[in-house]
Amino acid sequence: MLVDYELIKRARDGDGAAFNELVRAYRRRILGTIARLISHPEDVEDVGQEVFLRLYFSLDQLRSAEVFEPWLYRLTANAAYDYLRKRRRRMESRMADLSEQQVMLADAQAGGRVDSDDSERKRIRETVDSLLDAVSEEDRVLLTLKEVEGLSLKELGTIYQVNENALKVRLFRARQRVLKAFNNAGRKQAKRVTSPR
Amino acid sequence: METVNHNIDDPGDGEQLDALFRAYRSASPDPETGPNFMPHLWQKIEARERGSAIFARLARSLVSLALALTLLMTIAVSLLRRQAPVPPETYVEVLAEDHENQNFDYFEPVHVEPAADQH
Repeated sequence: MLVDYELIKRARDGDGAAFNELVRAYRRRILGTIARLISHPEDVEDVGQEVFLRLYFSLDQLRSAEVFEPWLYRLTANAAYDYLRKRRRRMESRMADLSEQQVMLADAQAGGRVDSDDSERKRIRETVDSLLDAVSEEDRVLLTLKEVEGLSLKELGTIYQVNENALKVRLFRARQRVLKAFNNAGRKQAKRVTSPR
Repeated sequence: METVNHNIDDPGDGEQLDALFRAYRSASPDPETGPNFMPHLWQKIEARERGSAIFARLARSLVSLALALTLLMTIAVSLLRRQAPVPPETYVEVLAEDHENQNFDYFEPVHVEPAADQH
C-alpha cells in the first residue's frame, strides 16, 4: 500500500487535496501497468487519466480502504481493455479501407522499421506485443497482470471477482493461446531476444 | 511471483515464454508522467462535473414543469366541472327515461306457417 487508509477515506469523502495526493502516489505505477498492457506509449497518459477520472467519480462506492489497490487495478484493467477493444476496431476498419497492395506496402515498411531498430528493449517489447496481439483483449490483460505485473492469484481473484480455481483455468487457457502464437510466429524472434548475448 | 501449473506439451516453450515476459517487464520501466498530467486530469473532472450539473439542472427543470402542468390541469378540470354540473340521475336512469316512449310492437315472436305443398 503506497498510502495510508486515512488518505483514502479523506479522498472518498470529497477532499480534493487528498485525491491529488492519492493520484500522485499511484500514477507512476498505474501508468507503467497501462504502458505494458496497451503497448502504445503515446496513449498511456490518456488511458491513465481515464483511470483516475473513473476513480474520482466512483470513489464514494468504495466499501473499505483495504480493497483500494485491487479496485484501482480493476479500473486500470477495464480502461486498458476498453482502449484495446476500440483500437482493434479502428485498426480493422482502417485495414479494410486499404487495397491489398497498400497493405503489403505497410507490412514491408513496418518490417523495415523493426530491422533498422537497434534498441534491444524495443525489440523485446515488439516481440511480446506481437504475441499478445495474436490473442483476445481479455487474454492479453489477464496474462499481462499475472506474468508481467506479477500480481498473485489472490489479487487477481479480487480484481476479477472470481475464485482462484476459475482463474487458474482462464490463465491456463490464455497461456496456451499465447504459446500457440509463440510457436507459430514469435519463436525465432523470442530466442534471439531472450538468449544471452 | 506465484506460479500456475503450466501443463504444456513442451516445457521448454513455457520457460522461454516466462523468460520473455520477465525480459519484457525489465524492458518496460514505469514511465515518468508529464507536467500536464494533473492539470489535464482536473480539467476532465471539471468538464464531466459541469456536464452532470447541466443534466441535473435540466432534469430538475423538467420535473418542475411537469408538476406545474399537473397543477394547472387539475385546476382547469375542477373549473370545467363546476361550470357544467353533472345531472342527478344515473346513466341507467337517463337511458330508461329516453326509451320510455318507444313502441316495441315489432318485437313480437314470429309465427312461421308450414308450406302448403309439403306433406
